[in-house]
Amino acid sequence: MKSLAGFLLAGLVLSAVAFMLGSYQTDVYRKLLLWITLALGYNFLFGIAGQVAFSHFTFYGIGAYAMVILLFQVGLPLPLAIVAGIVVCVVLALVVAIPATRLEGFYLALATLAFAQLFIVVLNEGGSVTGGPGGLANYRLPDILGVRVTGPWYTVVIVFLLLGTLAVLWRLDRSWFGRACRAVRDDPQAAQAMGINIRTTRIVAYAVTSALAGVAGMVYAFVDNTVNPPIFGLENAFLLLFMVIVGGSGRPAGAIVGAILLYLLPFFLSPLIGHHHALVFGVVMVAVVLFQPKGLIGIWDGWMTRRRAA
Amino acid sequence: MSDFLELMVGAAASGCIYALVALSYLLITRPTGVINFAVGEWAMVAAFGGFLALSRFELPYPVGMAIVLVAMASVGWITERIAVRPLLEKGAPPLAPILALLGMLVVFREIVSVSMGPDPQPVPPMFGYGRLELGLVAGSYQSFFIIGVTAVVFGAAWYFFERTLAGRSFEAVAIDRRAAALMGINLRRVTTLAFAGSAAVAALAGLMVSPNVSAHYLMGLPLAIQGFTALVIGGVGRVEGALLGGLILAVAEQVTVRYAPIPPGLAQGVPLVLLIVFLLLRPTGLLRARESRA
Repeated sequence: MKSLAGFLLAGLVLSAVAFMLGSYQTDVYRKLLLWITLALGYNFLFGIAGQVAFSHFTFYGIGAYAMVILLFQVGLPLPLAIVAGIVVCVVLALVVAIPATRLEGFYLALATLAFAQLFIVVLNEGGSVTGGPGGLANYRLPDILGVRVTGPWYTVVIVFLLLGTLAVLWRLDRSWFGRACRAVRDDPQAAQAMGINIRTTRIVAYAVTSALAGVAGMVYAFVDNTVNPPIFGLENAFLLLFMVIVGGSGRPAGAIVGAILLYLLPFFLSPLIGHHHALVFGVVMVAVVLFQPKGLIGIWDGWMTRRRAA
Repeated sequence: MSDFLELMVGAAASGCIYALVALSYLLITRPTGVINFAVGEWAMVAAFGGFLALSRFELPYPVGMAIVLVAMASVGWITERIAVRPLLEKGAPPLAPILALLGMLVVFREIVSVSMGPDPQPVPPMFGYGRLELGLVAGSYQSFFIIGVTAVVFGAAWYFFERTLAGRSFEAVAIDRRAAALMGINLRRVTTLAFAGSAAVAALAGLMVSPNVSAHYLMGLPLAIQGFTALVIGGVGRVEGALLGGLILAVAEQVTVRYAPIPPGLAQGVPLVLLIVFLLLRPTGLLRARESRA
């Protein structure tokens, strides 16, 4: 009950913010919300289920492209396109996950990295279906029950997406499944001895988080009203990993902190160092792994513990 | 026929580059279990080293090459000191150094893009631009240079691992870290040597490939991906695997670009598909690790 009230309050506050912003700020705000959504999902996959996958951002792209192609090339109505888009994401996630989760440790990272690169190759060579290197543009969200959802109201849709993702992951994390994921991450053999099916756990964790990323991508498709290959490149897959690690992997709060920090940092750094903020990201990433393996949220935890002890 | 043979010479040369990158991974992965994606960036940094030494200061090729290799070995050593040793000594989880090295990858790339600019820079080949014909077999000077150097490097690596005490100690660490330490092998020194050697091998790849592709700050990651594809095809167990994997990858790539009826852009997907297929069907690679001998 308390958490439901918390969700409602967060939804109200985040939506209220949407109505106070200018058009540039709205764009920044929407993308911030989307990055947080992605970081939350990736936190579950990487931080809680312990899978080093570079495909999370790719599913974001698959969702976005699937939405645009199904709506405007195939001509499906919006509700059907949403369902079909989710089906596409889940099926592709299973196609990747069922063989890839057999791989031990870092080989999963290699396979998903190859998958991510392959996605870009297919986008570039997709001809009129994917629009090739230029991508697809000049479309807009169809009317929903005769209403055009634009401006702050579309930002509210993104707020719903964020909170919905958070709620799903929250439930999963606190269920037997979340504990199974942590067990498989920490000690697969012990987990197996406890009766956990390692492969099923891995596959489900991968498929659920990838589908969530795909849904976020579907929503993203109408943020810029264009989808093209460079958006979904490896750079952003790395950035997502950095967000989760810098914030504190395994903790939803850490993912949120990391996403906000690394998304907003360039805005503060660009007056100082221009476009070279990636250098700062790299240094921060190395420093966090070396000195603060629990991430920034770990500093907060330590501080709270010390306060309670005092 | 001569057309096909020339294609094969080109393929062998790029295969040798992939093989060197794969060897660079292997030198670190074998003794430490760390997969270092920054090897591609080392190659990139070396390409810019080549640009500075050979194009800007116009040093003679062997001198410039030696300077770049020594400098890169120190870069490898420094990388190990900063991003790996503190974690190994703390007993951090095995993933930690891999993540720290991913951070270093970005640091290397951005340092080069800040200091050298985003434009590609020329690096000269060893013997100038020209074409060598040996009967039916023909190719550019640089292709033959790459093949020759790679043969020497792999010969030396084979000799080092199979015939020298230091090389055997690498092997011992790869088989059982704890037991090796108990036998008096200095783990720290093996790790340092592995990183320095790996960076020097990656540097060689970057230096030799850059006359064809120019030194560019984004050249690292594609090399890193091709390198580990070669490694996965050949198998991480043995040095020869890296060479075999690199050659298979390059031949598959060139043959599809040339003969397969698909658009050239799609042919870029061939190594990725090959990587996925090998990971799924034969994750140990073509050559299995040799059984530990008595």
